[in-house]
Amino acid sequence: MDPTIIFALIVSFYVAWNIGANDAANSIATSYGSRALTLRQLVILCAILEFLGASLFGKNVVKTIAKGIVPIEILEPHLVVYGMIAALLSAGVWITIATYMHLPISTTHSIVGAVLGFGIAAASQGHLKVEMIKWSEIFRIMLSWLVSPIVGAILAFSVFLLIRYILFSKFGSKKVEGVFRYLQVFTACYVAFAHGSNDVANAVAPLAPIFGYSAAGYYEIPREILIFGGIGIAVGVATWGYRVIKMVGERITELTYTRGFSAEFATATTVLAASALGLPISTTHTLVGSVIGVGLAGGLASINLRVVYKIILSWFLTLPVAMFLSIGLYSIMVVFL
Amino acid sequence: MKFFRSVTEVFGYSPFKSLVQHAILCGRALGLLQKQFEAYRRCDFSSVERLRDEIDELESEADNIKEEIRMKLSRSLILPVDRHDLLEFLKVQDEIINNCEHVGHMLTFRRMKIKDKIMFEFDVLLAKIMECINEYEEMIAHFSSLLESSFDKKEIERAIEYVKTIEKIEHECDEIQIGLHTLLFNSEDLHPLDVHLMEVWVVYLGYIANSAARAADRFRIMILGR
Repeated sequence: MDPTIIFALIVSFYVAWNIGANDAANSIATSYGSRALTLRQLVILCAILEFLGASLFGKNVVKTIAKGIVPIEILEPHLVVYGMIAALLSAGVWITIATYMHLPISTTHSIVGAVLGFGIAAASQGHLKVEMIKWSEIFRIMLSWLVSPIVGAILAFSVFLLIRYILFSKFGSKKVEGVFRYLQVFTACYVAFAHGSNDVANAVAPLAPIFGYSAAGYYEIPREILIFGGIGIAVGVATWGYRVIKMVGERITELTYTRGFSAEFATATTVLAASALGLPISTTHTLVGSVIGVGLAGGLASINLRVVYKIILSWFLTLPVAMFLSIGLYSIMVVFL
Repeated sequence: MKFFRSVTEVFGYSPFKSLVQHAILCGRALGLLQKQFEAYRRCDFSSVERLRDEIDELESEADNIKEEIRMKLSRSLILPVDRHDLLEFLKVQDEIINNCEHVGHMLTFRRMKIKDKIMFEFDVLLAKIMECINEYEEMIAHFSSLLESSFDKKEIERAIEYVKTIEKIEHECDEIQIGLHTLLFNSEDLHPLDVHLMEVWVVYLGYIANSAARAADRFRIMILGR
């Protein structure tokens, strides 16, 4: 196998691992606070469902990132390979830096920005016209970043309000909490599945044009790469994610069973819907939106809205950084390889 | 562990535990004040002064909690109650312990031998105020149930029952105060300065129960005004 392709596989696996270690863990950590499951059970369940979500339901988002942003059919195949490797590497590097600096960035935004950077670089080198980049699709994706936390918030708000006004007032909050403790097992699975289905693309979408090229000049999405990404995420959950689950779960004890259920249910539903529509969105940001929704429904003692500014800031930071990294790396590869 | 990105940041500072802690300090200060009166009766004035200092310490601890809440309660927080209502409530609750401190100081102004008959009335008043503050502390402890149930109607009703009881006890304190005032101003055998100082004690003891009742009222406004 070509060493550049082996390199691409390694970077892709690293990004998948990172997604599992951090984002997957964050999204199910709310279920750990409830102790409905032990840490070990939760990690196993999460790894399996992330894998299933990725391999069974990840295709649409992969398609969007691989073919929906840059018209790769027009470009020569070797340029596509360089571009996708540049994009992957940029995303990987930026995620690593941002994680170290504690910035609440999203791998989704990183990879979208990086792929766009590749498109712009290709255009600037005359391989493609700027207007051929699928700007309307990019606009649709960016709009979904704005909409998804809001949808999460509205859903979580409604679910918690229903619990509050129908269940709490009828059965009393203590009894209801007891029942919802076990429902959190379900939402943990749901959120892990949804997360896998959307976020696997961040790691493996750039592999699709590398492995899916057919002689007729057409790109397919091979199922193997979804499975590869699913394994990467599962390994991430198992090798590092458990620490994040433990840490986050211990910090958010405020999110009682009913509140955790509302937030997770809303997040998973939003993310799964986005996966079906092929929209790459950030699960973490959707979860933040959902938690705010629960807070607005009177479910939490205190919500810090400053996190919203941080998230918006992270959008404005991630897109250009990932883009310019990718432009730089792609240009280097085109010149030297 | 530095290497992770997290959703925990969405959870803001919650002032409710500190509010409960502040109320507990008020109760403890009143307990010390009772002991201080007991020492005064025994003419154990060194203990009276020591207890004054202890109450002072509790008051400054309470002040720190109050300041902490005020500092951390920024406008970017979404709370289940109105921020302004909460700060107003805290301000009034803080007056409970402030008044305890005032009385504690006033016990050290002058050394007197108080007649048992009068001292007994003071004990009755103090016990009544203690009843009031105990009820108050229970009401504040009830806060966690309110939060847990997201201010369920039944829980709010239960909380409001506390407010009513506190108001009732406060009224009983008023009546004991009237009795004490009458007793003091009809004690021709006492030195006028003694009468004057004890009269001020009575007034400020009344303020303790009074601020508890007003804080309870602010509490009610806060939980109803969401």
